[in-house]
Amino acid sequence: MKELETNSRAVLVGIRNAFGLPALLLFSAMTGFGSFAHEHGFSLYMSMLSTILIWGLPGQVVHVELYGMGAPLIAVVLGVAGANARFMPMTLSMMPIFDDSPHNRRWNYLLAHMISINTWTEMLHTGPEIRADRRMAYFLGFSFTCMTSGIIGVLQGYILFESMPQTVSLCLIFLVPVYFGLIMSNTVHPPFLLAFVLGCILGPPMHLLTPEWGLVLAGLISGTLAYLMRHKLPSPWNSKEGNG
Amino acid sequence: MDETSAWIFFLSAVLATYVWRFAAVMISHRIEANHPIFEWFTCLAYGIIAALVARTLILPSGLLALVPLWHRLIPMALAFLGFYLLGKRLWVGIVFGETGLIALMWFNGIEGF
Repeated sequence: MKELETNSRAVLVGIRNAFGLPALLLFSAMTGFGSFAHEHGFSLYMSMLSTILIWGLPGQVVHVELYGMGAPLIAVVLGVAGANARFMPMTLSMMPIFDDSPHNRRWNYLLAHMISINTWTEMLHTGPEIRADRRMAYFLGFSFTCMTSGIIGVLQGYILFESMPQTVSLCLIFLVPVYFGLIMSNTVHPPFLLAFVLGCILGPPMHLLTPEWGLVLAGLISGTLAYLMRHKLPSPWNSKEGNG
Repeated sequence: MDETSAWIFFLSAVLATYVWRFAAVMISHRIEANHPIFEWFTCLAYGIIAALVARTLILPSGLLALVPLWHRLIPMALAFLGFYLLGKRLWVGIVFGETGLIALMWFNGIEGF
């Protein structure tokens, strides 16, 4: 990555890099959410605020779903907490990237709010290539662009709820697992890949076992297993992998 | 919908998400950046996101549940093939997956087409 001389330059590069697939993905996913929230009788205002303040689609969906069903408050809290618990390990693993940055550590509480699967993978991959003191500006430019396209997505999904053909919505929603499946499996670090594969296998059965905490349980088991086996795995195979 | 209770539920959902991020930042300020435990956290994140992807695909809620399981699995497999066999370009994988989904819906006459 080029040297980013000023913070405003880093913000701009962040915005530019978010335009394209990351912004499109947020737009599509949140279009689905907008329609979903409308269908459940939520106001447009709250649907958009949900994207800004929760900023984690699975939790947003659980909130709308459970509230729509008339579930008690405690069920909504636990359901959302379980669906969005991934932000704890994600935030923890991203924070070292900002460690050499000169910003006041209080900013980290804002940075943590802007984390989504999109912005997290972006920072994990390109963050280390950026000068340490420009990473925060880059991240904010990137993530605010993603959030803005998400908000526009909610708006369009909410408004077009009834007029949009179901097949179009289906294709937009299908983008989400495809996109995340591809970017998460595309890692050269063997333990992460193992965690990904194990998570894929354990995810559905754990969800059947406990819908609220299935994701967390599957992640805990697969992530810990992968971490414990990290020294037994073959070292990165980017050099010779001829049979693929 | 009762306005006040709707906002109480909403703010609780907001807090139930932010509490994870908040706790993580607090904890991270107490650990050295190069501590090996951060690799474990990343493994956990990969595991949870993978579980989420698999759950969305195999046990979806909402619109995706309208199409049969193999309508979701075959396009996903196509996306992976396109991505990994044709130079790891994201948009190629996405085009493969979406085309597969549209083709399957077309041939099997899912309502809407």
